[in-house]
Amino acid sequence: MSRIEIVQLTQQFKGHRAVDAVDLVIEDGDFVVLLGPSGCGKTTLLRMIAGLLEPTQGRILIDGVDVTELPSKKRNLAMVFQSYALYPHLSVAKNLAFPLAVLRTPKAERVRRVHEVAASLGLENLLERKPRELSGGQRQRVAVGRALVRRPSAYLMDEPLSNLDAKLRTATRQELSELHAELSATFVYVTHDQVEAMTMATKIVVLDAGRIEQFGTPDEIYHRPASVFVAGFVGAPPMNLVVGTVGSIGGVVTATAEGIEARLWPGVAEKRTVVIGVRPEHLRLDDFAANAESTAGSASALSVEGVVERIENLGSEQVLYLRVGDTLMTARGDDFGALRRGDLLALSAPIERIHLFDEATGQRLEWVPEPDELPAAAAQVAVMA
Amino acid sequence: MFVTDVRPAPAAEALSNAAGVSPTRRRRRRVPIAPYLYVLPALILLGIWIYRPLVQTFQLSFYSWNLLPTQPLTPVGLQNYVSVVSSQQLRDALVNTGIYIAAFLVFSVVLPIAIALLSRQVGGRAKTAYQAIIFVPFLVTPVAAAAVWRWLLSDSGGAIPTVLGNFGIDIGDVLRSPSGAIWAIILIVGWQMLGFGVLVVSAGIAGINPDYAHAASIDGAGGWTILRRITLPLLSPTIVFLVLMTILLSAQWTYPMIDILTQGGPSDSTTNLYYLLYQIGFQNFDAGSAGAAGTLFFIAFSLLALGLVTLSDRLSFYDN
Ligand SMILES: Nc1ncnc2c1ncn2[C@@H]1O[C@H](COP(=O)(O)OP(=O)(O)OP(=O)(O)O)[C@@H](O)[C@H]1O
Ligand SMILES: [Mg+2]
Repeated sequence: MSRIEIVQLTQQFKGHRAVDAVDLVIEDGDFVVLLGPSGCGKTTLLRMIAGLLEPTQGRILIDGVDVTELPSKKRNLAMVFQSYALYPHLSVAKNLAFPLAVLRTPKAERVRRVHEVAASLGLENLLERKPRELSGGQRQRVAVGRALVRRPSAYLMDEPLSNLDAKLRTATRQELSELHAELSATFVYVTHDQVEAMTMATKIVVLDAGRIEQFGTPDEIYHRPASVFVAGFVGAPPMNLVVGTVGSIGGVVTATAEGIEARLWPGVAEKRTVVIGVRPEHLRLDDFAANAESTAGSASALSVEGVVERIENLGSEQVLYLRVGDTLMTARGDDFGALRRGDLLALSAPIERIHLFDEATGQRLEWVPEPDELPAAAAQVAVMA
Repeated sequence: MFVTDVRPAPAAEALSNAAGVSPTRRRRRRVPIAPYLYVLPALILLGIWIYRPLVQTFQLSFYSWNLLPTQPLTPVGLQNYVSVVSSQQLRDALVNTGIYIAAFLVFSVVLPIAIALLSRQVGGRAKTAYQAIIFVPFLVTPVAAAAVWRWLLSDSGGAIPTVLGNFGIDIGDVLRSPSGAIWAIILIVGWQMLGFGVLVVSAGIAGINPDYAHAASIDGAGGWTILRRITLPLLSPTIVFLVLMTILLSAQWTYPMIDILTQGGPSDSTTNLYYLLYQIGFQNFDAGSAGAAGTLFFIAFSLLALGLVTLSDRLSFYDN
């Protein structure tokens, strides 16, 4: 049980800043997932929390105590290494028992815990084997087991499921989620896998080039991405991102790009270059949206016009590739069956599904309606803090 | 009616079955000759210079002969073995060899482990310089080293007796002292072997993935526990290798020092098995006894080597 506070943490390698002034508060009982592309500093951040790497700058506090200078053995953490780091000279059983043996746990208790963990990870038949006699996935499960055998104040896991097959990964994911619910322990979990991030996390940290792009709940990350990077990184297929212009016509804020037109909120906005974002699953075939517009008169929506380039059938759904101007946009749905390559097509999305980002900084833009008294003059597009 | 898919039989298999000859058997009949040709020169040299003398030594051990080509070889049966085994000289040499090996294990295994572990704390260039200083003595030829040490130890103005004398310690002429000479030789050869040991142990430690120690320290282990339960076990193949080298080669490494500094004396106090062998053969001109002793040493060292190699195989973890 512990709260981890990270203040201005920096790791400077030779000529390369792997972690850059990161501020982060991980609350007690949080399941925090560090998500980001390869080389963005996830492992480096985790190793600094674990005490394996001395930060160039910044502090780490666990439960309010500054542990920046504390050796890792005194931090009471458990870690699963990306490289597993199973002790090659010890059997699986002894690997699992090692953390308990170091703490001089009574033998009976040790055996009980090892068998408990082995059973929950399906390792019972492998206990007498040496690590070199295991497959990659089996090694990884032993590595997870070695972390779970103890009850530390926090669990640090570096891509612990990356080598498991799909079925085992789902099962182990659920196992870990249950364990988290049961222990209400703090987890810091590194992964590339968005499904893992979305399903297990209470909070997600999206990292890019050593900096935090966004820290929030999976919902926030997905539905209100703080930057173009987050918008493009989370989601598969990724969000459609098109450079366009914001302006206003007749007291309505609009966003336009080649082949794209959106009527947004009542108000007036200065002309500026933006990135317009909309997720593939929020783009629908236009006819019923057009109907809705004409009947109910709800004006605001984004509409896209383009030429069908390709349709991929994934079984449960289809992915439509649409050439709009000189960009290729994607839409997800299950009703594209009748379309052919070369068909002219209009898609639309509801207003609350449209994301705007500043083109220069990549930051998300949030619309703040001004008080009604001054409708014309003061309405503006505010940069989210 | 239900129909299930029937996989078509692979055509190649059908064909070779029809011919009645399995393709693997046809291939196996022609043994490739080229690889053996490549190693042949080395094998011939090995046979002429190592194995033929070995066989001849074994044959000689059943004869009495004084190495003069004009003298006849007289068969004496096992007489040579009896006289070698019952000789006091052999017992002295055996005891000395044991002392040498035990002492060299300290210089080539124990100290190198300690030095290599400590030098992990030294970083960057300092480490390279530090290791070079320790390794350089190994590169000095034994004869040159012996000459230098003889001057250093000389009781008429040598540096070491002079310095020690200033502290009131009188070591006298160490190389002529029946109790001190062996330790002087151990120190000199040990000084040379230390660098080799440190080099091998450092390489062994560098080959251990640091993540094991990291994982253990997160698991709560302190430096001593990590050393005892992770580093040393993972280093054990290296350690066994060094022990093997020390046991098998220390008699050879010591030989030039004995020959130059003490000639086995005073009163056989520094002789070892190899030096004894040389004395029997080429000072006493007793080829038969030398052959018998050589055969016995060969068998004993072979057994030791076999045991240690087996042990080292069992200790290899194939760290991956
Ligand atoms: N010891 C080191 N010395 C110099 N640079 C390093 C070192 N360790 C990591 N880096 C660099 O720091 C950056 C971050 O590395 P890190 O291992 O944290 O990435 P990661 O996010 O874990 O990537 P992955 O998802 O591929 O595991 C990388 O660019 C890497 O090359
Ligand atoms: Mg990593």
